[in-house]
Amino acid sequence: MKCLTIEQIYLYIEKELSPSENKEVENHLRVCPVCQKALEERKLLSQATESLHLWEAPPDFTQQVMARIFPPKVSLPAWLGTLATGFASMVLCFFILTLVTGQNLRSLLLSFTETVFDFLKYLAPLFVKVLKLASLLVTIFQRFAEFLLKGLTLLTSIISMELQIIIISTTIILIITSIFALRRKLVFGEKT
Amino acid sequence: MSSMNEDKNLVDRAILGEKEAFEMIIQKYQQPLLNYIGRMVGERELALDFTQEVFIKIYSSLRSYKPQFKFSTWLYRIASNTIIDYWRKKKIDAFSMDQQRNQDKDLPPLQVPANEQPLARKFEISQLREKIERALDRIPGPLREVFIWRHINELSYEEIAEIKGLPTGTVKNRVFQAKEMIRSLVEEKP
Repeated sequence: MKCLTIEQIYLYIEKELSPSENKEVENHLRVCPVCQKALEERKLLSQATESLHLWEAPPDFTQQVMARIFPPKVSLPAWLGTLATGFASMVLCFFILTLVTGQNLRSLLLSFTETVFDFLKYLAPLFVKVLKLASLLVTIFQRFAEFLLKGLTLLTSIISMELQIIIISTTIILIITSIFALRRKLVFGEKT
Repeated sequence: MSSMNEDKNLVDRAILGEKEAFEMIIQKYQQPLLNYIGRMVGERELALDFTQEVFIKIYSSLRSYKPQFKFSTWLYRIASNTIIDYWRKKKIDAFSMDQQRNQDKDLPPLQVPANEQPLARKFEISQLREKIERALDRIPGPLREVFIWRHINELSYEEIAEIKGLPTGTVKNRVFQAKEMIRSLVEEKP
C-alpha cells in the first residue's frame, strides 16, 4: 500500500473514517515509519490546537448589546416638556377652531395675529398710565422729603445749641431703649 | 430540551418581545462568536464591536430565521458575511473568496513528506500554542475561518459546510490545508 495522504491522517486523528478505512490506515501505520512519524507530528499539533486560549467577553457585554438594541429613553428637560405641551395645546386649539368656525388655517392664523396686535394696542396705553402714576408717586415722595428737610433746618435755627443737644441725646436714648424693650418682648414671646 | 429546540424556543420568545430570551441568546453565543471574530480581525476592541454588531443584525432579522436550520449556523453565516464585508472595505486581498474557490478546485491530495522535521522534540506544548496563534494570523482568511470553526468553535464539518454553502469535502480540504500551512509556519525560524 502506498503512503497515506495528509487528509487520511487528519481524518484518522479526528475519528472521521469509516471502520474499514480506519482498519486500512492502521494496517499501513504498523509497517510505515514515515506515516507513523507524520501521524505523531499531527497529533501533537492537534493537541496544541485544542488548548488555544479563549477570548473572554467583558462581564457587562450582554448589557452593552441590549443597550444598543434598546437605547434608554432620554427624559426631556421640564421646560422643554412645558414648551412642547404648550405648542401641542395651541395646535389642538387651532384644529378645534378650524372645525368649529369652518375657516381654513390661514385665515385663523391671520385672525389670531390680529387679536394679539389688538391686545397689545390696548395694553400699551395702560402701561403708559402705570408709568405716569409711578413717576407721580416719586415726585410726591421727593416733595415730602424736601419739606421735612426745610422744617428741620427751620427748627435748628430757632432752638439753641444746648437744647438741640438735649433733644438729640434724649431721642437717641429713647430709640435705644425702645430697641431693647422690643427685643426683650420678642424674646419673652419666643419663650412662651 | 436539545440545544436546537432550546434556540428555537428562545428565538420565538425574542420575536414576541421577551428581552430576557434575547439576553440568553447573547450569553450563550457571545464567547464562541467573539473567539471566531477575534481571531479573524485580530484586535480585541474591534472584535467586541463586530460581535455586538452581529448580535444587533441578528436581533433585527430574527423574523427571517428559518427554524429548519440550526440557529448557530445562521448566526455564524451572518458573522462571516460581516467579516467579509469588513475585509472588502479594507481592500484586504487575504479574504478573496474567488481566489480560494479556484485553489479548492486545483488542489491535489496532500501527501506525507518523506523527510519531515519533527516538531514534537523542538517545542514545548505552550511554545507550540504561541506559534500556532501567530501562524493563524498569517494564513489566508478562508482557511483561517474554517480552522477556527472546526478547532476552536468545535463545529462539525457538516455545520461548516452549511454555513459556507460549500460541499463537506471542500471544507475538510480547507481545514487540512490550514493545518498544514500552520505547521509549515510553525517550523519557520523566527
